[in-house]
Amino acid sequence: MLSRVADNLYWMNRFVERAEGVTRLVEVKRDTNLEAGVKEDNRDYWRSALQAMCATEGTEDEDLNDPESFILFSKRWPSSVINCINQARENARMVRDQLSEEIWVELNNLYLFLNSSGAQEAYGQDSSNFFRRVIRFSLVFQGLSDATIHQDEGWLFMSLGKYLERADQTSRALDTLTLLGSEPSRLDLIGVLRICSARSAYRKRYRGDLNLRNVADFLLFSQDFPRSVRFAIRRIDSNLHEISGVPAGNFSNEAERLTGSALAQFNFSGMDAMLETGLHASIDQLQKKLIEVGQSIFETYVLLPFEIKNASVPPIVQSQMQQQ
Amino acid sequence: MKNNLFSSYKTDVFFDEMFGRDGTEALDHYHAIFNRLKTLEPNQIEEKQKQADSSFLEHGVTFTVYGDDEGTERIFPFDLIPRVIPDKEWQRVEQGLRQRILALNLFLNDVYHDGKIMAEGVVPEEVVKSSAHYRKEMVGFDVPRDIFVHICGTDLIRDETGKYLVLEDNARCPSGASYLLENREIMKKTFPGTYQGMAVRSVEAYPELLLRSLEFISPRQSQKPVCVLLTPGVYNSAYFEHTFLARQMGIEIVEGKDLIAIDGFVYMRTTHGLVQVDVIYRRLDDAYLDPLFFDKDSMLGVSGLMDAYLKGNVALANGIGTGVVDDKVTYAYVPEMIRFYLGQDPILEQVPTYLCWKDQDRDFVLDNLSDLVVKSANESGGYGMLVGNASTKKEREDFAQMIKASPRDYIAQPIISLSRHPTFCKGGIEGRHIDLRPFILYGEDIEIVPGGLTRVALKKGSLVVNSSQGGGSKDTWVLKE
Repeated sequence: MLSRVADNLYWMNRFVERAEGVTRLVEVKRDTNLEAGVKEDNRDYWRSALQAMCATEGTEDEDLNDPESFILFSKRWPSSVINCINQARENARMVRDQLSEEIWVELNNLYLFLNSSGAQEAYGQDSSNFFRRVIRFSLVFQGLSDATIHQDEGWLFMSLGKYLERADQTSRALDTLTLLGSEPSRLDLIGVLRICSARSAYRKRYRGDLNLRNVADFLLFSQDFPRSVRFAIRRIDSNLHEISGVPAGNFSNEAERLTGSALAQFNFSGMDAMLETGLHASIDQLQKKLIEVGQSIFETYVLLPFEIKNASVPPIVQSQMQQQ
Repeated sequence: MKNNLFSSYKTDVFFDEMFGRDGTEALDHYHAIFNRLKTLEPNQIEEKQKQADSSFLEHGVTFTVYGDDEGTERIFPFDLIPRVIPDKEWQRVEQGLRQRILALNLFLNDVYHDGKIMAEGVVPEEVVKSSAHYRKEMVGFDVPRDIFVHICGTDLIRDETGKYLVLEDNARCPSGASYLLENREIMKKTFPGTYQGMAVRSVEAYPELLLRSLEFISPRQSQKPVCVLLTPGVYNSAYFEHTFLARQMGIEIVEGKDLIAIDGFVYMRTTHGLVQVDVIYRRLDDAYLDPLFFDKDSMLGVSGLMDAYLKGNVALANGIGTGVVDDKVTYAYVPEMIRFYLGQDPILEQVPTYLCWKDQDRDFVLDNLSDLVVKSANESGGYGMLVGNASTKKEREDFAQMIKASPRDYIAQPIISLSRHPTFCKGGIEGRHIDLRPFILYGEDIEIVPGGLTRVALKKGSLVVNSSQGGGSKDTWVLKE
């Protein structure tokens, strides 16, 4: 398929997944704040979340007066929910011929809603309904992606975008706990599990045993929970091998090599090694690796060999890369 | 006319498509839809209209309005009352269009080869070579299958007596075919019973016929040709149409940066390396196609594309240099071309045209500005135009200046009272002026899907139907025998 199309599909899914992750974070954070009775020092409470999402850079003080609106509606922050949806839709518009009508209509409807004057009002009147709408869209979008289009190469690139972003989002949610500046409370731990939609799955696995080590272990290393980092990396690995046709355990490009080694690390080490390095530092390393995987996918499938060193990257693609 | 919706409807002094000239009863071929509309309450048709509009918006059937920071997307306004054309009437139009596209192609081949028509003084050489879209680089080049114009959108109007006249030809990148197809989808949902009952001829074959005429010109016939649609990109006003047609044909939609020309061949960049391209359905004007050849600053084109084209390794639809026949000065000579190349009389008449480069015509035009429509020879989309009787003194003076400064660039035509059609407006049904753009495909055969895109000037009294000037569209129903 066309390289640009593969790139558009990949980014469309990344942005949808990101919109969902960011929305979940706001939703849960808001609930947690209510429960904890946070009022005055609201700002500090949000700071860890913004930091984990790399949203502190370029953020002005006034943005923190209303962090929720900032995260949802800011035009300046590229990963605000509205910007994610707008970019997902822009990518979708460039590859409409690859999408089913149902996928397009769902995405376009949310786009039209968020950019209408009624969106902020709807949020003000019933925020939980608003959050549900964005999250439900993402779930419908995933369902339609599995049910209404060919599961061919384009679909594999969509899946790559989804799981790379998901691994990133899960690791960032976990990272909010290391950025709190104090021992995470019970509410904080539950909050992070909820952001990853992992509360009942966790309960099933650990019963009542709620502590940071177990939460981190679950979100990073769970074999079969679809939002754990290990699960996502395994999917990335198999998607990459399906695209290239090279058997698993081998590699034909840098993306496959990096993913394979990350997967091996997740398969054959565990929490002890992570804690030895420090949780925050390990998450940092992980995120760097994910960025490298994204970059190598781009170099392998979008650029021509002679373009990689030349930095003559087409402008549109470049701007998306910067937003990783 | 006793019902609510039509009770205050007036045909005025115009030819009305539904009621004819001064008619009070719907013409035979409109009976069924007229009776159906009569059963509707105003709020019912309003409801249907709303549903249609939101369906267009939801499905992204939009065009982009220029000159706006955000590149606003709007739906192309759509009117639910279909235009109906009886079989006999359409057959004549169709014959006229076939004759016309044959003559236009013969003319282009002649212009870029022997130039007989100029040598014999039928069309002045000066007129052809001074045309803004004449491409001297094409002289002597044999286009694949000798076809220059594969897709032509020829605009037709009807005068106050109901006679069809050719208003202009669009032989570069005519748009609108996607709206024609989408309008039909909506109408089938809105008036299913009436549609079925009236035996309307289908238009759904368009994408398939288009693909067939593209494949026909492929330089490689030994294998299934690789055809692509080249778009200027997502910000182009017709971008929706580009994706729509590519999807319907099942071919790749590419931007300039998806293609690369190496050693006289054009390839597209895929995840598994480069794939050779045979035919490019380009929705990009000549000037932007190749920065090495034409506009050096174009970011939309492909460096080296023209080299590959002139070596015959890739085919373009439409060919390069077809804009000569879009020129409104050349247009004036089309009846002569038909006589010259085909030895036939033109089946379709066209609008009398005064050519300002001729002294006599220019004097007449300058003396009668308020009774004429003045058009710039090479603008489209309803830009660069003066409608005399609706103009201010200042506007007329400005045009007089421009005409004197560059007479070759202007033509004038009498103001034609375009036919009108009942159209749903705020507060009821009123007559609005319309035209018709059929799409003519020239491949192994000439194919024209029945009807075309009926464009309607939604502003009261306006004669300009272009979407950029507040125009909308209607579905066009050509009836079976």
